[in-house]
Amino acid sequence: MIPMKSADKAMAFVLIALGLAMLWGGYVMDRLEVRNIHPGSIPGLLPMVLGVLITLCGGLLYVTSAKDDPSGAIDFGNISNLLWAAALCGAFAILLVGKLPFYIATFVFITAFAARFTYDKAHSPRQRGQKLLAAVVMGLVFSGLISALFRYAFLVRLP
Amino acid sequence: METIQSLATAFALMTTPMMLFHVLWATTLGIFVGSLPGLTATMGVALLTSLTYSLDRDAAILVLICMYVGAIYGGSRSAILLNIPGTPASAATALDGYPLAKRGEAAYAMGLATVGSALGTILGIILLVLLAPPLAAAALKFGSFEFFWLAVFGIVISGQLTADGNPLKGYIAGLLGLGIAMIGSEGIHAVVRFNMGMRDLNGGIGLIPAMVGVFGFAEVLTAMAGNDGNVVTPAKKRSRSIPRLVDLIKYRVTIIRSGILGTLVGIIPGVGEDIGAWASYAAAKRSSKERDQFGKGSHEGLIAAETGNSAVVPGSLIPAITLGIPGSAPSAVLIAALFIHGVRPGPMIMIEQPEFIYSIAVMLFLATIAILVLGLSLTPLFVVVLRVPNSYLMPIVFTLCVIGPYAISQRVFDIWVMVFFGLVGFLLRKMKYPMPPLVLGIILGALLDKSLRRGLILSDGDLTPFFMRPISAGFALLVIVSILAGIPAVRRAFGRLVNRDHR
Repeated sequence: MIPMKSADKAMAFVLIALGLAMLWGGYVMDRLEVRNIHPGSIPGLLPMVLGVLITLCGGLLYVTSAKDDPSGAIDFGNISNLLWAAALCGAFAILLVGKLPFYIATFVFITAFAARFTYDKAHSPRQRGQKLLAAVVMGLVFSGLISALFRYAFLVRLP
Repeated sequence: METIQSLATAFALMTTPMMLFHVLWATTLGIFVGSLPGLTATMGVALLTSLTYSLDRDAAILVLICMYVGAIYGGSRSAILLNIPGTPASAATALDGYPLAKRGEAAYAMGLATVGSALGTILGIILLVLLAPPLAAAALKFGSFEFFWLAVFGIVISGQLTADGNPLKGYIAGLLGLGIAMIGSEGIHAVVRFNMGMRDLNGGIGLIPAMVGVFGFAEVLTAMAGNDGNVVTPAKKRSRSIPRLVDLIKYRVTIIRSGILGTLVGIIPGVGEDIGAWASYAAAKRSSKERDQFGKGSHEGLIAAETGNSAVVPGSLIPAITLGIPGSAPSAVLIAALFIHGVRPGPMIMIEQPEFIYSIAVMLFLATIAILVLGLSLTPLFVVVLRVPNSYLMPIVFTLCVIGPYAISQRVFDIWVMVFFGLVGFLLRKMKYPMPPLVLGIILGALLDKSLRRGLILSDGDLTPFFMRPISAGFALLVIVSILAGIPAVRRAFGRLVNRDHR
């Protein structure tokens, strides 16, 4: 649990930094003087406006966060499950896809995901074996189905 | 007469055996997607967009609309049986649907939800056919100044109505979306902005990868970090699933009011089905003689919520088709899909493809018939599907989140974009930042940018036309009033003023 007040304050700093960066980025952006464009149509105009507005909103968020309900907090749920899910999904999307053939990457991911989240220490070795087998079957069937669907039905060149 | 003829022509085109087959499978899939907690209508439409490439234009759009209608309706299944809304649009449905299920009336509750959804969509379709052509004609008078304010109004109103108690967070989400839209080549001089040295960003951030991340991957993380609900088995006490006519007649005013309210909420840019459901539910509760039953298993409450959220679907397509501005998150994806399939939504639609609005109305109608038939006949199957544990379902969903955006552009970079937006979206949602304004910002960024700069070129740098042209002035006033209404101190002062006048 993270107090909402702290999260809002941190977000306010992020927004102020982002807003100032956009303002600066818009200000130094090419104004295309060599092309003799109308000064009202410079590409950096809206980024500058947005930069100012985001900075203002960041400031307002900082001020109003002090008045927030002190009992408000961010509940991330089961942190261990969340981290495992994020790590498995991230590993699949960033490390496996594109490096391994899609069918194999998907099989590894679905099997690992299902095996991790159906694993229970309280189960007997036999039950764990059954769950693992179910995860492997799931991985085989769905990686095959999804890959075949996209490859042959929708003519996608798989990564 | 011309309208009826156009509708009849569209109906004939859409009722070929192949089209009806598409209606059947896409609506069934939509109902399953909507009924599974963690899968939303937006995600379903986004993922299905990549699967409609090989279809012709009408079939592709029909499939996506059936998915949309089916998913919004399908959310009521898990809301009633699990007390977990399948989609955010069904949160109000759970209030009365779940108590009804606990009383052994799950089948009747699902029947009421089905008929309520169907009636809501039909009312919305009628308003779509009546309102879309004049709105498109009116939008032809819009110039850069008006489109600038329309985009600003969309962000402000969406931020205000979807924020959970703090409009500032809604505005911030909208501004972040507009900021994201600034990445890539701009539309007037083709200057590449904020690409951070990555050539893949020259074309900007793709809407579909961003939306699949925010609504798909973020949902996977939320589902895995949360707890599963328990299915209420509806067979304990058998109840009829087809609603009694007397109930529907009794609640006719609620149905009509909820249908109109839902459609109007749908027309407001970037607001969506959940607000439509809550607005209809609140209105029904205020005027009901049985208001003490609301939240304890009221038939009227359930019908109001379901009619309201389903009516948003046609409503949200009104601005999407006529102005190119989505009324809800799924309709934002639909706009992207329309472009992919060669339809240019916007004020010119009634000139370039006047028959298109009627085709959309017929597609919505066919989807409605499908939810009516499937919804009343497949109840036991849904109960079985709802028992699939997240441990098995979510890796499949995530695999689709990965391959869906990739299939559109065939770029691995879009998978990384999806992951980035999923993680950021998850954090922002936990911090109570609404996602619809963010998505609307990504869509409206280009329109806002081009309208502002074109307006300034036309007026030679003079800001007066932004405030003095009649429609612009109206929009500017609406924006100012909306922002002021979101400030508690202003609301309190206004309340005091009104009270003093009354005394």
